[in-house]
Amino acid sequence: MATSSRTLVITTGSGIGASVAKKLRDRGDAVIETDLSLDLADAHAVSRALRSLVGSGTVDRVVLAAIDPSAFRAAPITSLSEEDWDQAAEYPMRAAFVVLQQVHTVIADGGRVVLILPTVATTGVADLVPLCSAVEAIRVMAKAVARRWGARSITVNTIEVELGAFMLGDDVEGDAGGVGVPVVPVLGQPALPPGSAVDDVLGLIDMLAMPAAAAITGTLLVADRGTVMQP
Amino acid sequence: MSGLQGLMEGRVVLVTGAGAGVGRGVSAAFGSAGAIVGIGVRRPEAAEETAADVAAAGGTPVILRCDVTDAEQSAAAIAQLVADYGRLDAVVHNAVSGRSSEATDFENTTLEEWEDHSSVTVRATWRLAVQAYPHLQKTQGAYLLMSSPAGIEGSERAPFYSAVKAAQRGFVRALAREWGSDHIRVNSVAPLAISPALENMKILEPERVKRIEGLVPLGRLGDPETDIGPPSVFLCSDEARYVTGQTLVVSGGRFTSL
Repeated sequence: MATSSRTLVITTGSGIGASVAKKLRDRGDAVIETDLSLDLADAHAVSRALRSLVGSGTVDRVVLAAIDPSAFRAAPITSLSEEDWDQAAEYPMRAAFVVLQQVHTVIADGGRVVLILPTVATTGVADLVPLCSAVEAIRVMAKAVARRWGARSITVNTIEVELGAFMLGDDVEGDAGGVGVPVVPVLGQPALPPGSAVDDVLGLIDMLAMPAAAAITGTLLVADRGTVMQP
Repeated sequence: MSGLQGLMEGRVVLVTGAGAGVGRGVSAAFGSAGAIVGIGVRRPEAAEETAADVAAAGGTPVILRCDVTDAEQSAAAIAQLVADYGRLDAVVHNAVSGRSSEATDFENTTLEEWEDHSSVTVRATWRLAVQAYPHLQKTQGAYLLMSSPAGIEGSERAPFYSAVKAAQRGFVRALAREWGSDHIRVNSVAPLAISPALENMKILEPERVKRIEGLVPLGRLGDPETDIGPPSVFLCSDEARYVTGQTLVVSGGRFTSL
């Protein structure tokens, strides 16, 4: 379902964000992507970059998948240095704040913001404490932002996918930047047959862009084919 | 508070941000339970009232200088408790940024404000865990984080506070799995309670406080000692030996759909 809307995709160049951007572009959507070398926690740099990409206008949709999958190295918290902790936990939170703050300046009234995150914080994963902390922080930051931006009819929602899909996107044979995909404890196999997580996410992004979805904001949609099943 | 009697007899607990509000009330509740309570505060002179509460309740107060943004201070506070009492059974991380009750202008603020929140609530949560780990491992103890309903529902007025409190919930779930094999339990409490800021509001804006209270099915804001304290003590006690990775919302029913 190609649209004429302008979509800004903010990714780190790999994983689900990159795959979503490619599919959107392949099907004919007007997609603009951030420079992969951009430091997402640098407010001035992000501001300049977004304004340069968007020009003097606005975008209708923003897809934000800004946690770098290569930061998902599994390790016990007692083995982490302050730098390790900062890079794996606090940097993604800072980046989410900076990016969302700057998105506010380029998104049109009535626009749709979709964050893509892994489901890890729902279950909790040993040796991924920093990531779980960051994901939950970003998800709730998005809820707070949804409340703030509602007056402009901007919706802000989160889609979560299972960790492997987040890290690999369509590159299912990939090695996730050499860090491997950590094992996530779940009760069993997905309820639904296997499919493309990227297509699943695209479907939800399209759904959230529909006029009928104008009243959906601050929600979490889990596209993991029935693996976690939130209570 | 007689229901807590003996629940933490002889156990050693560190409570951060214990000088006022929820930290003070929770410290007193641990005192009622018979604990040796390390009262972690930035300025020791601000801990006298909490120490008196703990002693009056039957516990043993130990005032500790513990600015949780200072790694050396938090390490020294833990080391002193272990040196003086031979063990550490629980850490309750309750401290928050001094700006936590301020509104955050998300669209116009800077990373400096984020750092105020993150250094106390995110980084110190990790650092205290690392510093306490060998001691909690020996006692098969508990790590309790004071989160917030804002960290679940997301507050329009306090997006940074909401985010850092949410980070603690993600932290709890993951660390509970990581430390399960050590039999260290990791939980959080999300309280709705009278704070010093709300006490001020009661005087300056009584109608606003009444409106807030009107949203609570039980009709009032929680008392830090008698409402928030007992569930906190329970989660750190042997009675909760099979409870880990959980957030207990203690809000008089204000938050029911989380």
